[in-house]
Amino acid sequence: MDPEFEIVGIRPMPQTGVRESKKRGRRGPAIAAATLALIVLGCLACDLIMTKDPAYLNLYGYSLPPCREFLFGTDTMGRDIFSMIWYGGRTSLLIGLTATAFSTFLAVMIGAVSGCGPEWLDLLLMRMTDILLSIPWLLAVILAQAVLGEANVLSLSFVLGLTSWMSIAKVVRSEVRRIRHSEYVIASRCMGGSFFHVLWKHLTPNFLSSIMFMVVMNVRNAIVAESTLSFMGVGLPVEEITWGSMLSLSEKAFLTNAWWIILIPGFFLLVTLFCITSLGNCLRETMSRGENILK
Amino acid sequence: MIQNRTEKIIYYGKKLAVFLASMFILSVVVFYVSRLAPGDPLLSYYGERVEKMSVEEREWAQAKLGLQDSLLVQYGRWLENALRGDFGISYKYKMDVVQVIGERIGNTLLLGGIGFVLIFCLALLLGVLCAWHEGRPLDRIVCKAGMISSCIPEFWLSLLLILVFAVNLKWLPSSGAYSLDFADSLGDRMKHLILPVTVVVSGHLWYYAYMIRNRILEEVRMDYVLLAKAKGLTKRSVMFRHCLRNVMPSYLSIMAICVPHILGGTYLIETVFSYPGLGTLTYESARYKDYNLLMILCMMTGITVMLCNLAAQIINEAIDPRMQRGGQTGGSDGP
Amino acid sequence: MGNAEEMNGENMSELVEVKNLSVSFDTPQGEVQAVRDVSFALHSGEVLAVVGESGCGKSVLCKSIMKLLPASAWIKSGSICVNGVDITACQEREMHKLRGRLFSMVLQDPMTSLNPAMSIGMQIEEAVKVHAPKIGKEALRDRVLALMRLVEIDDPEERRKLYPWHFSGGMRQRIVLAIALAGNPQILFADEPTTALDVTIQAQILKLLGDIQGRLGTAAVFVTHDLSVAAEVADRVAVMYAGKIVEIGTTEEIFQDPKHPYTCGLIQALPVFSRGRDTLRAIPGMPPTLVCPPPGDAFACRNECALAIDYEEQPPMFRISDTHYAATWLLDKRAPKIALPVMRIPHEQPKKDQTLTDEARGKQQEILLDVQHLTHRFPLTKRTVLTVVDDISFQVRQGEIFGLVGESGSGKSTVARCVMNLYRPCGDTRISYRGINTCDPGLFREHRKMLQTTRQIVFQDSNSSLNPRMKIGDIITEPLRIWRIIPQRGSLRAEAAFQMHYVGLDAAYLDRYPAELSGGQRQRVAIARALTMEPKLLVADEPVASLDVSIQAQIINLFRHLQKEHGFSFLFIAHDLSMVEFLCDRVGVLYRGKLVEVGETKALFANPKHPYTQRLLSAMPSPFQFLPGRHKFA
Repeated sequence: MDPEFEIVGIRPMPQTGVRESKKRGRRGPAIAAATLALIVLGCLACDLIMTKDPAYLNLYGYSLPPCREFLFGTDTMGRDIFSMIWYGGRTSLLIGLTATAFSTFLAVMIGAVSGCGPEWLDLLLMRMTDILLSIPWLLAVILAQAVLGEANVLSLSFVLGLTSWMSIAKVVRSEVRRIRHSEYVIASRCMGGSFFHVLWKHLTPNFLSSIMFMVVMNVRNAIVAESTLSFMGVGLPVEEITWGSMLSLSEKAFLTNAWWIILIPGFFLLVTLFCITSLGNCLRETMSRGENILK
Repeated sequence: MIQNRTEKIIYYGKKLAVFLASMFILSVVVFYVSRLAPGDPLLSYYGERVEKMSVEEREWAQAKLGLQDSLLVQYGRWLENALRGDFGISYKYKMDVVQVIGERIGNTLLLGGIGFVLIFCLALLLGVLCAWHEGRPLDRIVCKAGMISSCIPEFWLSLLLILVFAVNLKWLPSSGAYSLDFADSLGDRMKHLILPVTVVVSGHLWYYAYMIRNRILEEVRMDYVLLAKAKGLTKRSVMFRHCLRNVMPSYLSIMAICVPHILGGTYLIETVFSYPGLGTLTYESARYKDYNLLMILCMMTGITVMLCNLAAQIINEAIDPRMQRGGQTGGSDGP
Repeated sequence: MGNAEEMNGENMSELVEVKNLSVSFDTPQGEVQAVRDVSFALHSGEVLAVVGESGCGKSVLCKSIMKLLPASAWIKSGSICVNGVDITACQEREMHKLRGRLFSMVLQDPMTSLNPAMSIGMQIEEAVKVHAPKIGKEALRDRVLALMRLVEIDDPEERRKLYPWHFSGGMRQRIVLAIALAGNPQILFADEPTTALDVTIQAQILKLLGDIQGRLGTAAVFVTHDLSVAAEVADRVAVMYAGKIVEIGTTEEIFQDPKHPYTCGLIQALPVFSRGRDTLRAIPGMPPTLVCPPPGDAFACRNECALAIDYEEQPPMFRISDTHYAATWLLDKRAPKIALPVMRIPHEQPKKDQTLTDEARGKQQEILLDVQHLTHRFPLTKRTVLTVVDDISFQVRQGEIFGLVGESGSGKSTVARCVMNLYRPCGDTRISYRGINTCDPGLFREHRKMLQTTRQIVFQDSNSSLNPRMKIGDIITEPLRIWRIIPQRGSLRAEAAFQMHYVGLDAAYLDRYPAELSGGQRQRVAIARALTMEPKLLVADEPVASLDVSIQAQIINLFRHLQKEHGFSFLFIAHDLSMVEFLCDRVGVLYRGKLVEVGETKALFANPKHPYTQRLLSAMPSPFQFLPGRHKFA
């Protein structure tokens, strides 16, 4: 009899060249990360890079265009822009991070309480969040800063954190609600899992991933906010060097058409923001949404 | 669902009560916050002269402005006057605050209004266009451009535009709402509006366009789209008669909620362009402790916010039948 | 339904002819070959059922004929002829003219397939207007009303203004059907049209489909995973496995004389064939992934009588009769003659008393769970409450499987959750477990550890019952961590590996995440997690409802094993009567929150007393009409 036609029964199926799924290495985020790392490093090690004292007012050399001595020129007060970029970047980034830490902490706290707490508390907190969310941002910041008095790095971070936790809190709350009613949490409770067990093992890992993107975006927004406020003169004073306060001299720069005072700090600001955004975008969970049937 | 008249009255009564209570709380908060903040209101009334004033003169001035009483008394007086329609005078302009605002409000409405309409229409257009071409170059380019533009701080974009179009090219004016010589010329006004409107639009456009794109793409993946196609509808009629139609209510309500945000955005832009609107006014009054002016400006903002939220709610309830959950009345499965 | 004799005639016109069709999807994992080299024909006026497990490509097959595939799918090869016209290369522009008029579709889930923001009248109107754009207002209205009457919707005049959320699932499926019929199509594709519906509603819809199909003479392709449904509606049946049609023939041929071992296995896995046995005849293993399908017969690795050649070469279609074809090497001349099991329902042998020895029987008298007057209400608004469970009482004895049967909305899940103390029932409910009234908060707290370790729950949807961010090993040992119990087998890892082995999972999955597992595997993980604490009572809330037939049988066998070998007691909640009949010792029938009938399974199924139970039993679709020795729950 043909050996081909012998009964052999169940055998493991021969694996036929299972192709490893191609991991498409995306270059975008890598470039963004590298650029951002460069800027952050530069800011941290600004003492090594700076060619001049960033706070020194050179009365004879104000509004000088970029030249060999002043790589990026000087501003209307005669300070060296190249040195100020690195020195001021440190403050800008610091404010971005501290403000985000504040807002994330607040958001997680309020969101978690709202998600876990009783119905009336949830209603109250969410109502409050909605109201705060609909107040024009600039007005809220100016009022809050007015209460705290003259701005410094810490108080400004606090104010920025205080005015930017709302949307994260809403996400945290809805995630907590969703996860809380999911069957794995119910199963865990059936098995006797305590509140903290559920919170730590089930809730936290699941909602953290969904707010990561927003947290990163908050760093970006805080940096923008700081520079906007400093630019308007309600944030840090001109003497406190940040990218925003450097730009607040632009009014005077227009008079002499000193483009470098506006463009160079702005360019650094923009590149940083762009890098943060693209990093944030790749943190965003790529959910498979199903297929577009209309195509 | 609202069944009869009494329920309707209760429904709107509740809304009104919430509105009034919120206004009251807002006024208390703003009143106290603004007075707690450091700064001298006399500075905005007397300007530089304050520094030369003697102690008696200061006290007299404070008494004149009613700043010596306790906060509670001051608030009571403000509330009493406000209920009678008298919101006090602006320290800086030394006129009735209503008059001060009356002069400026038109400018802000013009800027915000044009900006809002442009954002509304362009976002819809771009969103549908991107959803239609999902994943194709056009979609990708628009999304990328949106991401980049969302990174540009508005104030810096304004600076850039001023630098290019006003300082160097000298095509457009860099500040103000109109030139002194042509105060009534429409063309001149428009010229002054171009740069601020550009900044307002570019600051918000991408966000809403992206949102509507994603909403449509979510909708497109629903089962009913498959059924609609199986019926024999063309891609265009499915997109417009089903998907867009279902997205519209939520878009309208979101746009209603975003009115205060767009107006709030104009605050910043007005300041950069020295555009005489409510934004610059708010900024000044908050900085220089022009209490009465600040109060009414905050109250106006609050009213706008609440009216817009109310509008959003009404749109949701009226247009989208999914929001009405009246239970099953149509009939169930047989015996 | 169509006429079987007519079908053998030569002059049958072929409405659809599919030749060597292959369809692939582009996914991140690579190319998924969803349909592989499929050929079949559909004659006018007949009903062809396409049967297979999930992911076997049956739905893709329909959609590719209608050209409703998503952009990531493409037709690799083959041709589709409809009415003698080749439409393989047709563009969207031409296709939308054919859709609705030539062929139309009914989708699986009626809850999502209607546009929620449009009144149903408008949606039907739209379907009419597409093909008759110039239709007058009056005529349009009349047509809509006629269509609604056709699908037996009462008061069409008033109801056409209502929105989909006004209707229940069965009514919505009727509306979808009305839409599908609006263009007088020649072919109707029905993609699992009754899967999301209750048994009694399913029976109504199937009857309606049959009536309409007979009246209008529409040909239909009926996609289903349920063999009994296929037997009820179809003239011919095509069985699909791993993207291929493995057997096609008339319904009699398929059910009476299946030639492919997979078809055999599927039919044999029906609980009715295992009457009098302890375990179901399950097909071992799992369907292959279609990313890189095996070179030979994809079913070989689950086939006990696989031939050597099955692992190397794909079998061609062998002809058995003019209408009956099967793709298996067993039909080759050179193959050994194997007698496939005869399709015969075992006569009810006097069972060896369901596994129970006298000793166990004595033990069984002991009541483990005693539910008395269980009532649960949900507040709807401030004034109205919804009574979900209304005063029900039952007992679960030691070592017994108690089945709770009911349709959706009958409150069966609520019972499970009340028993597990997840909901607090109201009034004078008394749920005692081992003599402890668990409804008493004080007593519950006192015995908390005992209660929470010896009672465990398994849910329906294994997808949401496992934390997506925990590894399988951690999931299984979670209860041990909670109670800080030192595992019997040394380490937590060893314990997890043991439990996984026990429920039939490879220990290699220890470090995987739930998303990497299939539905059946995930359900095993959920069971393993429940078993870690060696519970006495396992509450299983529809544990097999979302699984494929062959996997269902495996899980049911696992339950049986646990009961027999370890004396577990089960509260088994299900809507599938045949599974309940096979597995449970005693059954309670739940109807709108009330327990209408309780009794020994055999007695209850043989002689249902309550009219609802009778209706439920008669609504069950049955493949028996084609089987020798047919009898329906005799």
